[in-house]
Amino acid sequence: MTLTVSGLRVVRAGRTILHSTSLSMSPGDRMGLVGSSGSGKSTVGHALIDDLRGQGHSVSHVPQSPDEALDPLRSMAFHWREAERALGGVDVDRAALFSALGIDGGDMGKRPWGWSRGMQQRFVIAMALIGTPDLIVLDEPTSALDPVVAAASMDLLERHLQGRDTAMMLITHDLGLAARRVSQLMVMAEGRVVERGATEDILARPQSVAARALTAHKSWAMVPC
Amino acid sequence: MIAALAGLLLRAVVVLFGTALLTFALLWNSPGDPAQAIAMARFDALLTDDVIDQVRVEAGLDRTFWVAFLDWLGPLLRLDFGHSSVTGRPVWPDLSNAMGYTFPLALAALVIGIGVSLPLAYLATRRPGGWLDRASVAVATLGTAIPAYWLGLLLILIFAVHLAWLPAMGARTPAHGILPAVTLGLGVAASLTRIIRSGILEARARPFLPALRRRGVGSAAIGRDHVAPHAAVPVLTVLGLELAFLLEGLVLVEAIFGRPGLGSFLVTAIMARDFPHVQAVVVLTALIFVTVNLVIDVAYRILDPRIGGRDA
Repeated sequence: MTLTVSGLRVVRAGRTILHSTSLSMSPGDRMGLVGSSGSGKSTVGHALIDDLRGQGHSVSHVPQSPDEALDPLRSMAFHWREAERALGGVDVDRAALFSALGIDGGDMGKRPWGWSRGMQQRFVIAMALIGTPDLIVLDEPTSALDPVVAAASMDLLERHLQGRDTAMMLITHDLGLAARRVSQLMVMAEGRVVERGATEDILARPQSVAARALTAHKSWAMVPC
Repeated sequence: MIAALAGLLLRAVVVLFGTALLTFALLWNSPGDPAQAIAMARFDALLTDDVIDQVRVEAGLDRTFWVAFLDWLGPLLRLDFGHSSVTGRPVWPDLSNAMGYTFPLALAALVIGIGVSLPLAYLATRRPGGWLDRASVAVATLGTAIPAYWLGLLLILIFAVHLAWLPAMGARTPAHGILPAVTLGLGVAASLTRIIRSGILEARARPFLPALRRRGVGSAAIGRDHVAPHAAVPVLTVLGLELAFLLEGLVLVEAIFGRPGLGSFLVTAIMARDFPHVQAVVVLTALIFVTVNLVIDVAYRILDPRIGGRDA
């Protein structure tokens, strides 16, 4: 089922922070949303989630850091049960999901801070995969992790998604991450999508000022993730 | 957890012993001649040196400090508080009689305090900055600023003198306890409201809550499972301090309403230099404090093991 939104627009306090944006994704698509800080990437993510949910699609969200997803006073088991309940008791093969993401060794009785940050983030990703959603939106999913752990997490996620219909949207300011993980890119600046196309094309021949600024720093080619 | 509990217990014992020693030393070295004060309290007449010396021997005031301290501490460990140096009667029956007036009052004040502040804070934080919120902050601030003796007199004036609904003095019937309990309870409610309110507001600003909402967790479940535990941490901290204010207020309120509780017991004992009585009250108060704080510390560690803990 193709996911389509049109005319997404966000106005806050009289100011348009997201100008009318449309996009469509097919099952299994890998879309990247890049732009500098404050360009409106996360706003698109949130508006997209709300809109698609309104249409009856299942969409999950992985925030930037596990601190923004997990309550430090609650155990991992509690978080898991809560997420299952929120999704209405769908059938979940937790063991398979955990081993796919490499967190089957984690002690579910512990609270988040009893786990490493990399494992916490993969746990959050696992929660987002409960019920195999139509779309998973990853909002800067690796910026709180060190590059090696981040790369491993993304590898595990990609392997898990392979052959499934879940589409992925990766919101990031890290072009290196986008270059390796997504096939299509949308470049944002000042609340507008200023460029979109295949990832290689944009990286090789950036047209907009924003895309050129992002690709100007070639150091993105060096980072492992 | 067991090691932490043992550490907490050890700390409690040290605090109790320290309090006992300090009180004893302070009283022992207090200015004036305690034997003379005791003799005056006993006989209420002009006294000769012989009588005073005899009282000194009877009250054990002729011993050295350490002998006297150990003579007192030994029986205390078996919960024997000794005998009054004024009346010569055992301390415990009089003390427990006084506690019978004070503890129900303290409990009622605490129930009123929590019963008023919890719903008020909850309602106030439903719309932060709304009129109810601002009114509750104003009332709570005013309530903290008003001293218990002033509020007590005001309540007596309104409900006992003008309206004549409730008795003002004494402790014969449960109705006698209403005004003192309200006086103390409103003070507790005032400070608790502020703490609970800011606790709830702080808990609601936690960074993980938007993600929970986006995950589809209902707002009732978020309030119960996430906001409430986070709001409880600062409230627990203050509850221990609240008890200190409560005990302080009790002494005044008992005096205002003429109740024969621990407060009156302590004041009378200090006036008469009845050391065993004073020491008994101080040790008892310290015991209550240490116990409550021990319970709070344990509750803390269950709620958030990061506090003072080493592992999850």
